[in-house]
Amino acid sequence: MDEYVLGVLTNIGLFSFLALSAYLLLVTGELSFGQQAFFGVGAYAAGIGTAMWGLPLPVAMLLAMALGAVAAWLVGLPTLRLRGLYFAMATLAAAEMFRILFELFHYQRTVDGELVGPDGTQGFRGIRWVLEHGIEQEAFLALVWTLLLLILAAFAWLERSRLGAMVRMVGEDPELAGVLGVNVARVKLAVAAAAGALAGLGGALYAHHNTYVEPRNFDIMLGVHSLAYALIGGLGTALGPLLGVALDIGLLESTRVFQGYRMIVFGGLVAIFLLFRPRGLLDEATVAGIARALARRGAG
Amino acid sequence: MFVDLVQNTLDGVMLGSAYALLALGFTLIFGVLRRANLSYGPAIMLGAYAATWVHLQFHAGFLALAAVTIVGAMLAGAYVERLCFAPHGRRSTSGDAAAVASMVGSFALWMQLEEIATLWLPKHLYSFPPLYDGPPLALGPFTLRVEYLAMLICAIAACFGLHRLLAQTRFGLAVRAIVDQADAARLAGINVPRVFMLVFALASALGGLAGYLIVAAHEQVTPMLGMWSTLKGIIAMMLGGLGSLPGAVVGALALGLIEAHSQWLLGPQYRDLIAYLVLFALLALRPAGLWAMLRRATGPTAA
Repeated sequence: MDEYVLGVLTNIGLFSFLALSAYLLLVTGELSFGQQAFFGVGAYAAGIGTAMWGLPLPVAMLLAMALGAVAAWLVGLPTLRLRGLYFAMATLAAAEMFRILFELFHYQRTVDGELVGPDGTQGFRGIRWVLEHGIEQEAFLALVWTLLLLILAAFAWLERSRLGAMVRMVGEDPELAGVLGVNVARVKLAVAAAAGALAGLGGALYAHHNTYVEPRNFDIMLGVHSLAYALIGGLGTALGPLLGVALDIGLLESTRVFQGYRMIVFGGLVAIFLLFRPRGLLDEATVAGIARALARRGAG
Repeated sequence: MFVDLVQNTLDGVMLGSAYALLALGFTLIFGVLRRANLSYGPAIMLGAYAATWVHLQFHAGFLALAAVTIVGAMLAGAYVERLCFAPHGRRSTSGDAAAVASMVGSFALWMQLEEIATLWLPKHLYSFPPLYDGPPLALGPFTLRVEYLAMLICAIAACFGLHRLLAQTRFGLAVRAIVDQADAARLAGINVPRVFMLVFALASALGGLAGYLIVAAHEQVTPMLGMWSTLKGIIAMMLGGLGSLPGAVVGALALGLIEAHSQWLLGPQYRDLIAYLVLFALLALRPAGLWAMLRRATGPTAA
């Protein structure tokens, strides 16, 4: 496969983790500007795991997920009772704190005669586990998309389960959900932690794909973009965020037609597009309609 | 030590007046429309870039540059309003979803405005003529920059002007009626979309004025201006209390003081860390903001 195409497909997969993380919170009715923080926590944790502690990648990925979940839980605990812009700004403040802490984070040691580890604003170089283990780009792409498909399967199961109905109910009417016996605070915290783990896993893969991360990678722009991906793609199905990422990275960044004007085209398209579909391309009504059509064809 | 403390406090108040001008426009839009305009800063940036271009081409005087910044910010603001706020306003049934769509749309236009500005003037930094060329004012051992004093005066004037506009004019009455009960205001014959448009124009003009004073004080224009203006404006607004004009000024001054003191004590990285920490803690513990806390502390007085 062409190296360029490989890179684009891998990037679509990597940022889909972050978009899905934002989507998960959107389903519970919360708008987060801060999921990039957990992406960053995962990237740093997994990088330290493989490059400095000599852990295998799968263990480092689990570590990244766990730390991403803990960080998201800690941020969610005092903020999840906030709504709307209040929650958005609280998560933005938290994410910027994480970014500045990455800038202040110095932890280096010599591995094989080379100094590796996070060096403040200089970033974290030499996350080379994938190269050192002779994993080809194709294989890494397959790993990213296999994990993504597993997560989509989990989402599909969730949408059909009691738990999924509870999560959607909390998003649509938290008071009613509370009256019906759903522990709203607990559902929200659990969802926030799961979203943190998802972002952390994406960050771990991102760090190993790029072999280098720096605090600037995890700034507000990344967070707002991932939120926009989820909203453009639609809130009806977990495929929505993937569609959003594919539209931006796949269509605009990669087709070099719009080089230099990408943001003008993308920004204008999104704004016009929201006039017609304020809840995204695959919104709840569309998804329900497609499901009905499929069911009819299956029956007939 | 004491001299430094006083000087830092003075610097903080001055910095805070720049933030106050930004926060007032932000608050005006949020207070009336109940929506956040993320493109607020980038619209200001486009105005400032237009003024920089006029300065490079014609070496215009400060009044002309201020006028160009304000008009530029208003034109960019009108574009944002037409595309992201006016159309979504019609769907009064789905308030929350429309507010989210407006905010995401304004983020999309942020990307657009920023790219237009940097394609227009592609360098990383342009120098901008200062408002006042002389040395800073000396008050005994303390110094005060004239540009920041102008900002403080403008911020106070804008706050009082807006208060009078809202409290004593027919337009202000219409605005307050909409804030209280948009549907009832519509039934009473108030042209709600028109009032929204005027509020947006007023906020954009204020933003343009803030933008001019800020770039004239910094004596430079960079592509960071858009994000910086949106962030400082929104943080000051949230610190003070969402949607309250005196709150915006209180929040802006608090942000300026926090930044000036923590920068002097700990340096620029910790300055930002502490500013975000205070915002996070305040949102978690007292989301109503500093102004509400002050009012409660001073007892129940008439607003």
